[in-house]
Amino acid sequence: MRIFSSSYTFDYSWEEVSTNNWRKYCPWNDKASHVLAVDTLSRHVDPETGILRTERLITCKQNAPQWVLNILGGDTTSHVYEVSYVDPAAKKVTMCSTNMTWSNLLECRETVVYQPSSQDANGKTDFKQAAKIVALCGGWQKIRSKIEEVSVERFRENAARGREGFETVLEMSRRAFGEEREKINMGQPATI
Amino acid sequence: MSASLAPECNEVKEKYDTCFLKWYSEKYIRGNSSTDECEPLFKQYKACLTKALREKGVDTMLNEAREGTVETDAEHLRR
Repeated sequence: MRIFSSSYTFDYSWEEVSTNNWRKYCPWNDKASHVLAVDTLSRHVDPETGILRTERLITCKQNAPQWVLNILGGDTTSHVYEVSYVDPAAKKVTMCSTNMTWSNLLECRETVVYQPSSQDANGKTDFKQAAKIVALCGGWQKIRSKIEEVSVERFRENAARGREGFETVLEMSRRAFGEEREKINMGQPATI
Repeated sequence: MSASLAPECNEVKEKYDTCFLKWYSEKYIRGNSSTDECEPLFKQYKACLTKALREKGVDTMLNEAREGTVETDAEHLRR
């Protein structure tokens, strides 16, 4: 088993981050070309707590190393299942995701939390990410260990790219929103 | 917005996503609405998607993945 964790502070309010989080994989994100599709499977507000629960299916281009694809026989796409919880009163977004592809071989569970920053609750957002990676295949410990090691490395690379891509989405969104506001102020119709 | 894994669902998905994002940012996180106003659009999108997931065989994989949500629901779906 390997654990990967990272944290980061976005220079945007929790409202902006949590909204744009839903379109993290839009065309503005030039670092997410491996994400082919994001589908919402279910969504409802819990009547007791007001928490929004969403299930999504994320479809990616397979990015496993070639030697892994050679051994396992590669499909060209992989799927990730994600369930998320938004608590608007506590201002907390929690997203839990797990791999659906090769899940009998490798279990990768990731939890991401977005909360107002402890340093600047109105203007910044803290991001915390933790992942647990376990190779489940029987046989040699050496192979299991190698698979875990490669997976953590991929995870680390993707985490950095994910953060960069999301920064771009946040920036573009703020710019587009600013332009729209200007247009409205000048009496022109909005386009987004 | 991102595409659907089923291209035939893209049009209705786009409409739903736009509706959801507006509701989420303007009402829900501001505490002004606790009912999802985009439910009718979601139903249309869901009907299209469910068919595609069945055809692609993704639905059975999803059922397995969902088993893990008992734990996360218990942890995050309460105060």
